[in-house]
Amino acid sequence: MSFWKTIEDIDRRWVYLMVGLAVIIPFIFPTEFPISITPETQMLYDAVEAVPDSSTVMVVFDYYPSTIAECQPMSVAALHHFFRKDCKVITLSNIPLGGPSMAETVTRRIAPLYDKEYGVDFVNLGYKYGYVAVLSGMGTSIESIFPTDNSGTPISKLPLMDSVRNYDQIAFIFEVADNATADYWVSIVNAQYGVPMCCGTTAVGAPKYYSFVQAGQFVGLLGGMKGAAEYEILLSKPANAVLGMGAQSLVHLLIIAMVILGNVGFFASRRNKRKVTP
Amino acid sequence: MSSVELLQIWIIAFFTLALFSFLYKDNPVYKLAEHIFAGLSAGYYVGLVWDTVIITQLWDPMLAGDYWLVVPGIMGALMFTRFSPRFSWVSRVSLAFVMGVTSGIFLVSQLHGLVLPQMQSTMQSLGTDNGIGAMFLAIVVVIGVISTLIYFYYSKEHKGVLGVTARIGIWFIMVSFGAHFGYTVMGRVSLLIGRVQFLAEDWLGSFSHIF
Repeated sequence: MSFWKTIEDIDRRWVYLMVGLAVIIPFIFPTEFPISITPETQMLYDAVEAVPDSSTVMVVFDYYPSTIAECQPMSVAALHHFFRKDCKVITLSNIPLGGPSMAETVTRRIAPLYDKEYGVDFVNLGYKYGYVAVLSGMGTSIESIFPTDNSGTPISKLPLMDSVRNYDQIAFIFEVADNATADYWVSIVNAQYGVPMCCGTTAVGAPKYYSFVQAGQFVGLLGGMKGAAEYEILLSKPANAVLGMGAQSLVHLLIIAMVILGNVGFFASRRNKRKVTP
Repeated sequence: MSSVELLQIWIIAFFTLALFSFLYKDNPVYKLAEHIFAGLSAGYYVGLVWDTVIITQLWDPMLAGDYWLVVPGIMGALMFTRFSPRFSWVSRVSLAFVMGVTSGIFLVSQLHGLVLPQMQSTMQSLGTDNGIGAMFLAIVVVIGVISTLIYFYYSKEHKGVLGVTARIGIWFIMVSFGAHFGYTVMGRVSLLIGRVQFLAEDWLGSFSHIF
């Protein structure tokens, strides 16, 4: 059997094994690849930097636990960025499965690093069913949509919410999403209430949102783990996304090699067949 | 690390490895994990909606005096008539309300928030005010939008100028598919990296707490 025939008939489980090894090896022997900053990430960073210190912002956890690897580093970096600027942070989620608890866990892990106190410096509104009604309703009154926070405390008892009635008091929205809820933040909140916002999204969703950046609807964009890694670098807080990019780059090189090998094999075996059957 | 956290990590690790076992071949452990995931998701969702909608937004406010909420409550209950062939028509009242409200909200928000801004952003200056590079990109956007739209114009046979433009549109679509595919690969690999990170850091790290 020729080399190319062997390649053509290779059991796909060997490919899985190679991809698995390409992911695992960089964790054992850390591998660094250069990470360049894309204009969209730089725009996002600059936009967050331009938010007035001590203003109130929203960080939205619109992603499922399945995309933690891509989205969580974005949320973590955003919280570092806002807390560093002494901003008041309101978190919420339009995702029922895991969104509110991830917001709670992540925020409570980072807030103590900046001496931030729950209720005064940050609040987790949690989840409310029906994102269209939720996003529209908060334009009139956040309290009418979220009478209580994620733990059931009436938001009237949270000092931070005393000065926040609706989007008029929100300086910036940082949406992290792995689904189409970002579209509704744009079409309802940005378009109708004019709140500036940016988006961190999965790599799968990113191509769609470049046009939103071009149209000025998002002031910046983080696309997948690469975007998250860029943001971590800009913040000088390299963490999970930067760590994961070693494996990411290695797997991409492997996939490129396999695509080239597969195509060369395809044309080689086609040429051989032509030789056998003139 | 508490024993509850340890148990949590081990359960997550078990289900991660159980689902990965499908890469070798279909097996009962994979099936078990798959069924538990489906059941848990459905159960969690029902519980969440019950608590955040029925109790928080309907029942509690009604007890507090918002009696008008009985109207949406009844309309919601009417949806269950779909289970009865004889009375299923009643559910159309609620469905009609939902469709009407949804259309009204989405018509405005989609047009005002998505269609018009996106159209506006394609109408760029083709002058050299922002440099040669920006002019070139603006030309690419204009050609890309027009040729792609023409590719999806099926009322006339794609021949002559229309055919050439449609073929240019195909190239733009293919480039777009390529970008999407590249990003999709990155996204899927990221999911694997996330799981490996968990197994390497949390799960293997938990061994030191046990042994």
